[in-house]
This record gives sequence, C-alpha cells and structure tokens, in this order.
Amino acid sequence: MLKVENLSISFRTDEGLITPVEDISFEVRPGHTLGIVGESGSGKSISTKAVMQLLPGNGIISKEAKILYTDKSGKVMDINKLGKKGRAIRAIRGGEIGMIFQEPMASFSPVYTIGNQMVETIRLHRNVGRKDARRIAIGMLDKVGISNPEARIDQYPHEMSGGMRQRAMIALALSAGPALLIADEPTTALDVTIQAQVLDLMRNLQRDLSMGMIFITHDLGVISHIADDVAVMYLGTIVERGPTDKVIHEPAHPYTQGLIKALPSVDRLHDRLTPIPGDIPSPNERPTGCPFHTRCSKTIVGLCDRHQPQILQVGEDHTVRCFLHEKQGRATA
Amino acid sequence: MLRFTLERLVGMIVTMVLVSMMVFLIMEIPPGDYADRYAFRKYSGTGIAITEADIEAIRHDFGLDKPMVLRYVDWIGNIVLHGDFGQAFAFETDVIKVIGDKAWLTMAILFGTLLLTYLVSIPIGIYAAVRRASAADYGLTIFSYLGLALPNFLLALIMLYFANLRFGADIGGLFSAGMADASWSFAKVWDLIKHLWLPAFVLAWSAVAYQIQTIRATMSDELNKLSVTAARARGVPETRLLIKYPARLAINPVVSTIGFDVNRIFSELPIVAVVLGLTELGELLLNAYLDLDMYVAGAILLMLTFVIVVMNFISDILLAWLDPRIKLGNN
Amino acid sequence: MTDMIENRVLSGSSGKVRKESAKAHKKRLKYYSASQWTLIWWRFRRHRAAMVAATVLLLMALLGAFAEFVAPYGPTSRDTKYLDGAPQIPLFCDQNGCSWRPFVHGVTTKRDPVTLRAISVPDPDKRVYLTFLAEGEKTDLLGFIPTSTHLFLLDDKRAKLHLWGTDDLGRDVFSRTIYATRTSLSIGVIGVLISFVLALVIGGVAGYAGGWVDNVIQRVTEVIRVVPIIPLYMGLAAAMPKEWSTTEVYFAMTLILGLFGWPTLARRIRSQLLSIRSEDYVIAARLAGARPLRIISQHMLPSFTSFIIVDLVISFPYMILSETALSFVGLGLRPPTVSWGVLLQQAQSVRVIEQTPWLFIPAVFVVLAVLAFTVVGDGLRDAADPYSDVR
Repeated sequence: MLKVENLSISFRTDEGLITPVEDISFEVRPGHTLGIVGESGSGKSISTKAVMQLLPGNGIISKEAKILYTDKSGKVMDINKLGKKGRAIRAIRGGEIGMIFQEPMASFSPVYTIGNQMVETIRLHRNVGRKDARRIAIGMLDKVGISNPEARIDQYPHEMSGGMRQRAMIALALSAGPALLIADEPTTALDVTIQAQVLDLMRNLQRDLSMGMIFITHDLGVISHIADDVAVMYLGTIVERGPTDKVIHEPAHPYTQGLIKALPSVDRLHDRLTPIPGDIPSPNERPTGCPFHTRCSKTIVGLCDRHQPQILQVGEDHTVRCFLHEKQGRATA
Repeated sequence: MLRFTLERLVGMIVTMVLVSMMVFLIMEIPPGDYADRYAFRKYSGTGIAITEADIEAIRHDFGLDKPMVLRYVDWIGNIVLHGDFGQAFAFETDVIKVIGDKAWLTMAILFGTLLLTYLVSIPIGIYAAVRRASAADYGLTIFSYLGLALPNFLLALIMLYFANLRFGADIGGLFSAGMADASWSFAKVWDLIKHLWLPAFVLAWSAVAYQIQTIRATMSDELNKLSVTAARARGVPETRLLIKYPARLAINPVVSTIGFDVNRIFSELPIVAVVLGLTELGELLLNAYLDLDMYVAGAILLMLTFVIVVMNFISDILLAWLDPRIKLGNN
Repeated sequence: MTDMIENRVLSGSSGKVRKESAKAHKKRLKYYSASQWTLIWWRFRRHRAAMVAATVLLLMALLGAFAEFVAPYGPTSRDTKYLDGAPQIPLFCDQNGCSWRPFVHGVTTKRDPVTLRAISVPDPDKRVYLTFLAEGEKTDLLGFIPTSTHLFLLDDKRAKLHLWGTDDLGRDVFSRTIYATRTSLSIGVIGVLISFVLALVIGGVAGYAGGWVDNVIQRVTEVIRVVPIIPLYMGLAAAMPKEWSTTEVYFAMTLILGLFGWPTLARRIRSQLLSIRSEDYVIAARLAGARPLRIISQHMLPSFTSFIIVDLVISFPYMILSETALSFVGLGLRPPTVSWGVLLQQAQSVRVIEQTPWLFIPAVFVVLAVLAFTVVGDGLRDAADPYSDVR
C-alpha cells in the first residue's frame, strides 16, 4: 500500500547542504506492520515525515524519489508530486495516513480538549455533523481502552496520565479512519508496564482495523513483538531489510548483529552485554564508503572505507547492504 | 475558578493597601506640610502677618497635628468610606471636584491606546513570525528599535508638527475650541474621538514596539511546537492551523502583560499630555506636583495605580480563562 | 606530532577526504580552551551592529569625559551678539575663493526691517578662521586639571564659533550638548549601579533565604512594579527642596532613579538563585563539602553573571529616558546644570521645530544613546548565550 523508492532527504543549513537520508527504499504491505529500527540520528523519523510531506521549510526530498501510495479506493498516487500544501496532501494527512508521536503531551495542543481536537479531525475527513463526529470520537476513545469516554472526551490533555494520553493520541490519529498508521516511537516516553499495554493495544487495533502500520523505534525487542517486516537504518541508509523472524534470527549485517548482541535479555542475566563500539557520527560528517565501517569489527580495509556496498539479496525478501555477502548474494539494484 | 478569583482578589487588596501606604509616604515627603502651604497661599500678598500660632491652628483644624499613622488611617478611611480624597489647596475645593470628569477622559485615552496597540501589534507580530527573515520582518525589527528609542515627547512634537502642517491649527488637546466646556452630548463624544487618535498614536507607539517583539518571539516558538506538526499531520488547513494552534497561544503573553502596557501608558501620560495639551489626569498630576498640591497628586497616583492593579487582575482572570492549565495548577 | 595533526583525516559530508590544516587546528584548540568571557567577546565581535553601537557609546563617553577640552565654551557662557543663531558650518570655499583652512563667516548685527528687532546675519565677506588646540576659556579638565586648551576655536578671539547654533540667550548648543552628554550618561551609570547593588542584595536575600522573607520582598517588589514609574519618580523629584544646590539635586536624582530601578533585576537574580539552588551540580558541590561562599561564587554566580550584565546594559535606556523626561517637564535636574533633558526643555513646542530646529540636536543624542544601549544589550545577550556557536 505504501512503496517508497530511492528516497533521499537533504536540508539547507548554514554549513551547506546536509543529507541525513540517502537513497532508501521500503514497502508497507496492506494489513502488515513495518518496523524501522535505528539509533537516534539514523534518519528514521525524517523519512516518515517525508512520507507525510511534513519536513520543515529547509528540507528537500530528492526529485527521483517515489512515494507511491494506494489509497482506500485503490487509486495509486505519488505523494512526492503532491507538494507540501493543497487539498490532495491534506486529504492524505489524517484521512489516509495517521501519525502518532513520541510525546503525547507535546502533540496535543494544551488549550483545547481532547474532544475538540478529535472532532476537528473527524469533520475534516468525514462528511459528518458535530454530533456524529462526537459520537465517533467517543467510540474511538472506548476502542483504545479509555474508560468512561463520555466524560474523558471533554478533558484537557494535562488532566490525563501519560499512558492515557498516549491512548488518546492513538484515538486521535485513528479518528478519521486512516488506512495506514505511522507511529514514531510511541512507547519510548512511557513506563515499561504501560509500554507493554500500549504495544498490545496497537497490535490489536492494527489487526481489528486491518491497517498498515509503520512502527519506528530504537528498540529491537519491541520490533520483534509488533512488526511483520523490519528495516534497520544506520546513518540515513537502510542496511538490512526483511521479515522480522529472519532478521532477528539470522541477522546478515554486522550492525544488526551488533544491535542484537547489545540487547539485554532475561535468560542471559549473567552474560556481559556487547555494545557496538563508538558513537554514531553526525549526518554532516558521514564516513565515506559503507557508513558503518568506522564501527564495524569486520571492516575490509581498502574496500569498506572506499566504496558504497550494493543492496544484496540474502534470502526471500531479505536484503542487506554489506560487502561480506558479496559472494552468496546477488545484487538487486 | 472561584477560588482562583478570590485568591487574586485578596492579593489585589493587599497590594492596594501597600500602594496606598507608599503613596501616602510620597505625599509626606515634601518639606513643610499642608498647613504651611495653605497659610502661605491664603495670606501671602494680603498684608496679614501670620504667626506660627496661626499655622498651628490651621494644622489642628485639619487634623495635621496627629501622628502620621492616624493621619494615614484618616486619609485612606475617608477615601474608602466616603470617596473623599481630601482638599486641593491650589483650587480651594475638594480633590474629587478638581478631578471631575478628567478621570473619564483618562480612561478614554487609555482604552483608545490599548485598542490601537493590540489591533496593530497582534496581526503584525504574527505576520513577522510566519515570514521570518523576510524584508518585512527586518523592517519591523528596525521599527521596534525606534519605538523603544524615540522619547515619547519627541514623537509627540513631531506628530504635532506634521499634523499642523496637514490639518492646520486645530489639533492637539482633547476637544475642539468650543467643545471643551460644553456639556456632554453625542457631538462632544464624537469630537473627543476625533481628537483621541493623536495621543493614542503617540502613547501606543512604544507599546506596539514591545508587543510586536513579544508576539513574534512566542509565535516563533509556538510554530516549532510538535502540536503544530501533529495538527498538520491530521490534515488541518494551513490558515486555520495558524490561527487555532500557534496564534491562539501567542495571544497569552499579550494578555498577561496588559497590566504592563497600562503601566507604561500611564507612565508616559503626564509628559505626552504637556506636549499635546491634554487636559486629563496626567497633566493635572504634573501640575499638582509642581504646585506641591499633594492631596491631588496622591489621589491621582492612587487612582492610576488602582486602574493598573484592576487591569492586572482582569488579565489574570482572562489568562486563566484562555489557558486551562493555569486554573488547574492553582486548585 | 605536527605531521600527525596536519594529516589528521576528517570525513567530509561530500564523501571526499578533507584534511585539516595546522592553522585551522590551532584555531580549534584555541576555541576549546578559551574562557567564558573570551568566547562572549568573540561572539560579540562578530555582531556588526552591536560593534558599531558600542563604538558610538565609547565615543559619547569620551566626548562627555573630556567635555572641557572638546567644547569650545562653557555650558553657560553667552554670546549676546548671536541669539537664537543658526548653526555655523565650517567652509573651505565661498564666493571669494577657497582656503586650506576651514572658516566661517563673521556675524554682523542688523535691524530687522519689519519687526525692528536686532538680528544677527552672516556677512559673506568676513572670514573667521578656525584654529585647533587653541587657548581659550579657562576650565578644569575632568573637574580638577586646570587647562585652557580647547579642541578648536576661532582665530579671532572676539568672535565665537557656534557649530550647532545658539539658544535664545546666545549659549552655544554644541558646548551645552557635550556637557549634557557627561551629565546624562553619568546619571545613567550611577543610577544603574545603585539599582544593581540594591537588586543584588534584595534579590540575593530573597533567593537565598526563601520562605517568609522571600514572600515579603516579593510583595514590596510587586508594589513598586505596579505604580507607574515616571509619576512615581516625579513625586519624589517634586519633593526636592527648591533651595538645594545643583550638586545636591544631581545626586538626589541619581538616587531616585536608582532606588526604583531594581525590581526587574532583583526578580531575575532571585529566580535564578532559586532554580540553581536545586541543580544537580550545586548539590554535587555541596555534597563534596564546598562552603556556601564557594558554592555561590564558583558555581552559582558564573552561570548567570552574563545575564545580569545584559540586564544592566538594557536598563540604561530606561534611566536615560527617565532622566530626560523628568528634566523635560521641569521636575528633574535644574539649570544651570545641563543634561539632555534640561536642554530639551527649551524645545517644548512646535514653534521651536519651525524656527530654531537646532535646539533638537540633544534629542538626537538621546535617541542615539538609547538605540546604542539597546543594540549593545541585544548583541551581548546573543553573545552570552552559550548555545550560540562562534565558529
């Protein structure tokens, strides 16, 4: 339902043009969840903002990029051609693709009630009156597990607890009935127990409403719970992509392998964690060649630091961008 | 909300009590007292020699020989209980009569100025934030620097000069020649409005400069908030988005500084009044100071401050009503 | 070692290998080891408008400080032959040819044919040359160094040069403005210093003690903030006895201005102290056994001294404008003291704009000074912000 091809994103800054996302492609299948994993600064949030045409004024999406979206009626369109303003992109925002953010408190306006903001969204995308919109909103609050929704709808965001607010945020994003939901680290700011509740809720909602979903996180553990497919991002490129099972159990890229080793686990309590050495470089000092070679334990000197690896197929729907797989894989690009 | 209002009300009364004490102190500072000045004014030039005993008698008549605390209680008590602000010796009548409808004229100037300030600064401030770093934005920055640097009396003189060139002599003051002493009528009110724009313009000048800067800054902050991106991600049209989300919040600092603006306007009033020949409280206050007519001065200072305190109160209540986070923080 | 530095490879955004030159590296090292104040100065230096404004202020301060030398005449000396006279602009050329020395035309007194008043008109055939560093009226430089040397005078000692014209008593506007610059700026400086000390003490006590002390101080602050400030100043100024000398009035004025200028700064210091008190690094210092005085001077103050300085600079315009306003309406400084406000007392009506507009020259100084202080304040605020980068 969403197919992104050759997406690069640049920003005009005082220090010149920087390109935090370079040539990424991914796909969301209808009714499935794509997880995007990466450290902060890897470009995962910006990529999804680009899908919604929500980049700030100095952000540029490359011309050759294609953001192909199939809407509810089956029409295929290229979002990259819609521009940042106008009726067409507004119909997609909220109506076709919903978005939830990391900080529910900051994504609600503090001076309007939850209901006000929900009714606004519903009426923007559905041809209903105020009363019906309110009824739909209450139904949606009920669906995300907010008790006593008739009263809660008239509350302000600051009158709710963190978990409740994130539920309300989900309800708000879903209120206009989007076919695709983009969730940008929706559980990161929450306590662990509430995190699990919200994850459960999102998985169930996705199933019930048979939505497509993009779930962004830096936590591989969360991905294994919720995503059907996963894309691992490092410094603005997708280094590995494939079905979640495959990627978790047979990680092909040294970065993915490192992420999994760095993951704490209850059944390995006494083992030491093996962190990936070094820090993620800033996007305006991206290393030459493979972006990961400065931290990779398997760097091939003279190759990895000079040349950009190709995208290689290592299994069914499983691709990786690494020279180590040159022999067994075949170039797909 | 009720509790919040009551709390503010109590705070307001406490402030006013302290203010009245300070005002009374200022009234007491000039050397000599009311009796000296009364005697001097009444008998100087009449050839009647006055003795210390005569002054003492006057002092006793007016209750000026009592301790300061008692005199303060008398003064404030008469104001609160009887609306009696004491005697204006320069006019030899009640202070309240001297003030007369100058209080209403002052309020007309105040509200005219406030109206002008907000009508101009709010849209322009929002526009400057949305069009950051544009030529218009830089132009406004220069204007606001000038707004801060140009002394108001100079601006008043310049305005008066150009107004004279453009409209001839009948400018300045608050009324046309024949209207000042006429009784209140629709024609007189209209005449007042026609004269009000000049003082309002001069007094609003620096307030507008301040407010544009404030609104531009908060609006820029608000524009970068996640809630704006989130609303955009829900498909809210751009103009409506600007008004409903960032602009709505950028109004809050304006509301919370209404008291400051009133303070600034009253602060500039006496001087602008001198240049523009306005007959209102500012001008009266200045003359009272020059004549050391301290009961008049004290009454006016108290009135002006009272208006500021009330406006502060109103701005608190308005703000609590505009921003649901505030009243809940207090409950 | 230098080789290594020179060949250090930095990865560039373009993907090409970039080498850092030794010079750039030195610059970087210097940046990392610079002190807070050096950094502020570097950032401030790049703020062009603020540098211009700072230069203007410095120039004004110098003019004021050396008023006796710069001004050709004393602030009260009169030229009865040139009343309400227009500015005399030094020329190099006139109808009778050119000269390498600047000159002005001499003045002759005529009777106005209509009003029969005596008026002064320039005589285009009479040249009076300027001399520089010439001997003239005896004065005391900076108030205590006897001198009679002036920056410039006229050759002919009987004639006087009035660069910016004269007022109705024939007093030289240029000289008076220069002397007024000293008065007005010094009142600003002393006023700001007084309110700074008060703010430091009051805000410090409130912020450090907290509790009921803080509550009481907050109430008092609130009262001062709520009363309109110019009418308040006026009330105090009006109370100054008429028989006071100009010096007494001068100091009373600085005291009045300083006495009520503190609330904003005191509030700032208080809230900074209150918020910093519970910062982790202050608690860490306390746990490490540092004494209160050391904590305040080494850990708390440095984190907001730059803000205090900015606030101080920004409060100058208010002092200057207040003094000007009070003197303008006759409640501030009194003649024969000259300040910008006192000089502008003569320029209260539209008639002055039409007939003797040069009397407004002191107003240009007021505007310039206030603008300059505001721009310098803004430049300092930007420079003091540790998150704005200098490189």
